[in-house]
Amino acid sequence: MSPQPLPSLKGFAVTLRQIFRKPITQEYPEYKRPVYPRFRGRHRLNLHDNGLEKCVGCSLCAAACPADCIRVVPAENTPQNRVSPGERYARIYEINMSRCIFCGYCELACPFDAITLGNEYELSEYHRDDQIYTKEMLLAPPIKQVPVADRERYDTPEPVWKTES
Amino acid sequence: MSAPAVELVTVNVDGREVQVPKGTGMIETALAAGVEIPVFCYEPRLGPPVGACRMCLCEVEGMPKLQAACTLTAQDGMELRSAQTSAKAAEGQNAVLEFILLNHPLDCPDCDKGGECPLQDLTFRWGPSNTRMHFPKRTFEKPIPISPTISLDRERCILCYRCTRFSEGVSEDLQLVAAHRGAQSIITTFEEEPYRAHFSGNVTELCPVGALLPSTYRFRARPWEIDNTPTVCGLCPVGCNTWATTREGKVQRILSRNHPEVDDGWLCDKGRFTFDHLRAEDRLREPLVRVRRRGFEAVGYDDAVREVARGLREAGGSVAIAFSGGETVEQASALARLVRQGLGGDAAILPDDLDPAVDAFRAPLSAIRDAEICLVLGDEPVMERAPIVDLWLRAARRAGAEVVTVGPAGSVSTPPGSAAATSAELAGGGGSDELRDAGRRLREASRVAIVWSGDDHDSGRRAATLAASLGLGDGSGLYVLPRSPNGRGVAQAWYEAGEGRGFDPSGEEELGALIVSGDEAAYDPRVAQLAERARFVFATSMFTGDHTLWAHVVAPGTSYLERDGTVVNLEGRAQRQRRVVDPPHLDELELLARVGTELGVPIAPWAAEATVDDHAELAPRAQLEAPPEFAPAASTNGAGPGLELVVYRPLFSGPGVERVESLAFQRPAPEIELAHADAQARGIATGDTVTVGLNGSGRALRAAVRRKLRPGVARIAAEHADGLGSHVEVTKA
Repeated sequence: MSPQPLPSLKGFAVTLRQIFRKPITQEYPEYKRPVYPRFRGRHRLNLHDNGLEKCVGCSLCAAACPADCIRVVPAENTPQNRVSPGERYARIYEINMSRCIFCGYCELACPFDAITLGNEYELSEYHRDDQIYTKEMLLAPPIKQVPVADRERYDTPEPVWKTES
Repeated sequence: MSAPAVELVTVNVDGREVQVPKGTGMIETALAAGVEIPVFCYEPRLGPPVGACRMCLCEVEGMPKLQAACTLTAQDGMELRSAQTSAKAAEGQNAVLEFILLNHPLDCPDCDKGGECPLQDLTFRWGPSNTRMHFPKRTFEKPIPISPTISLDRERCILCYRCTRFSEGVSEDLQLVAAHRGAQSIITTFEEEPYRAHFSGNVTELCPVGALLPSTYRFRARPWEIDNTPTVCGLCPVGCNTWATTREGKVQRILSRNHPEVDDGWLCDKGRFTFDHLRAEDRLREPLVRVRRRGFEAVGYDDAVREVARGLREAGGSVAIAFSGGETVEQASALARLVRQGLGGDAAILPDDLDPAVDAFRAPLSAIRDAEICLVLGDEPVMERAPIVDLWLRAARRAGAEVVTVGPAGSVSTPPGSAAATSAELAGGGGSDELRDAGRRLREASRVAIVWSGDDHDSGRRAATLAASLGLGDGSGLYVLPRSPNGRGVAQAWYEAGEGRGFDPSGEEELGALIVSGDEAAYDPRVAQLAERARFVFATSMFTGDHTLWAHVVAPGTSYLERDGTVVNLEGRAQRQRRVVDPPHLDELELLARVGTELGVPIAPWAAEATVDDHAELAPRAQLEAPPEFAPAASTNGAGPGLELVVYRPLFSGPGVERVESLAFQRPAPEIELAHADAQARGIATGDTVTVGLNGSGRALRAAVRRKLRPGVARIAAEHADGLGSHVEVTKA
């Protein structure tokens, strides 16, 4: 028997009470909590409506990047191989995600809104080399993030931005 | 000679008093007062200011309207107010920038100048923050390749006329002009001909916007992604100071780095665009060792070093070196010590062997511009041998100097190969009337520049003798143009390593071993003949070539952009060449150090730190110990049937240039230059196809008629002269 039986019993009562409540913790990755709209996650390279790339390979994002994680190698558009509307396009566009600090300066520096930061944050890899995102990866549409489990099972508070607006 | 007294005047710039010599330009005057006046078109090296861009608008006391400061000169009591203190001037500059930007496309993210663009910078500092231009801008087709190395974007051009002023007033090629008027003015070449001139690349550096850009740098890098390494060009004996721009470990472009005594900030196209040979496809990357007669096998450096040491040791002292003249002093010294101290050999083929007497008349190249009279001697065109010297001679002529050229195409016409005889006549006051006259004027002038551009092996001595007899003093200079970029340094290194003065390669006896250093030497037919007599041949070269037929060990060589060391230019100025990029293999000095270890000669595998400063000073003149005597000049021109052929080595030639595709248009066309009288006698006009050769076995070349060329003489570039003798018959095809 515990030297202080009464407080122990009080504690057990709390536990007993919580057992019948909905859990406040969120099961990740079964449930993925929605992020705020200005959340800065994985980068995306955007396309024009006609399918051409918005990026012209001007390297301003690389200049703005404080972590020096962007590498751009431009090349010239030819009539046979037109990639972007201007004279030049980014032949190589790489972001080293293991270096990126997600400050969003690249997005601010971009004169063509070609690079934007999306909502994805699941960027773990088994190898460092895989952390270097190529242009093809950045151009690809993001994998849709949906909660995988029933939201009603959790006692999740509504995000502030949702309750206020 | 005393310098003219300088009259100082007091000028007030933005409330600051400053004293400058009378006549100083207002931009410099303001700078002396610590005030920066923004400019686009102003560039003192291009001659008188034109006031085309109006960026330098300033308020001057007593003048009702804003004045372009660059066109004003300092006068006593002048009061100038720049945009920093005068609201009127600031408004004027703002309006000028808005006006310049009316038709300037806002494609800075596309433009290669972005980030290092004066128009961007000045707009940011002085210009409007917004545009009121809501109409379509003037458009042109773009980019227009005005030559394979330069592209022109007329939309971006702000018509500052820097490029046309360069073409007209500095390089004097007169190829770039402004056509049409007003808003329709465009920069263009004649009839869409490519801009083919030795100095065309300089306009890309002069252009203050992105209108003229080097095609080789198109979309390669941004200013914040690059490293600039100060180095010295190693492609001709001038040794222009350059910046080499690298990105991600690759050379992307070469820019000039102004050394006012050597190059005045100009750089020829060979120096600017040849860097691409570093990435040539046929570059050697590993040592090759001959395996029986079948061919070569790539081996590691350990095996190669052992093989070289074995071959050299077995030669038993009968060792010769063939130098290219492009090596650094350190490299040449290592080779020389290896042969002279390690193996006991004393034979070398030196590309240049100047007599040290020329150092008694040493002067910076800039002294040519200040000369009263310039004398150019020799058969080789100065432009093809040391292009910057030609630019200095043009500057001298513009400054009012008389330039006397003596040679087969000169203002004083002499037969080919007679430079030695002519110099003796000049010194002795003999010869033709023209020559006697020129000699008299040379003696009367106080500032004389003598340029000797010939292939005579004794030219250093003869030139020094001529200079001594003409009494060249301070302010005068003697410039003997070597054949090779560092020929002087190589020869110095060779003589410092031991006794003896070279040898005659035309013997018959067998040679123990031959070391061929560099591609230029490997291309030399004399060296190939020598190699046939050698039991063992060790060659270093950048590219695969003919020498792979006769060498036993070939080690990959480096370019001047890949090594560190000292080079000595034609003035005798020691300058520092820096390693800009790492070679894809061991560099020669390291290899020689390892061979030295095997043979017991200690060689440092790297150049000593900081041999010379960034802007190398010229060493003081040497004392002339005894006035050299004239050696009897052997006349090299023999009589023969037909026309006497003068073969010159064009600037755009050599193993590096041959591997750069974009420079192919600069290489000499397959043509033969004929004198006017000879052409007329044969009924040949410029552009005709002619048969050149003897006894009917000829080749077809294009004829170019030159009025300046001496009758009886034909001139041809070396690469088209293969198999032609000293005399040829030219007939219309």
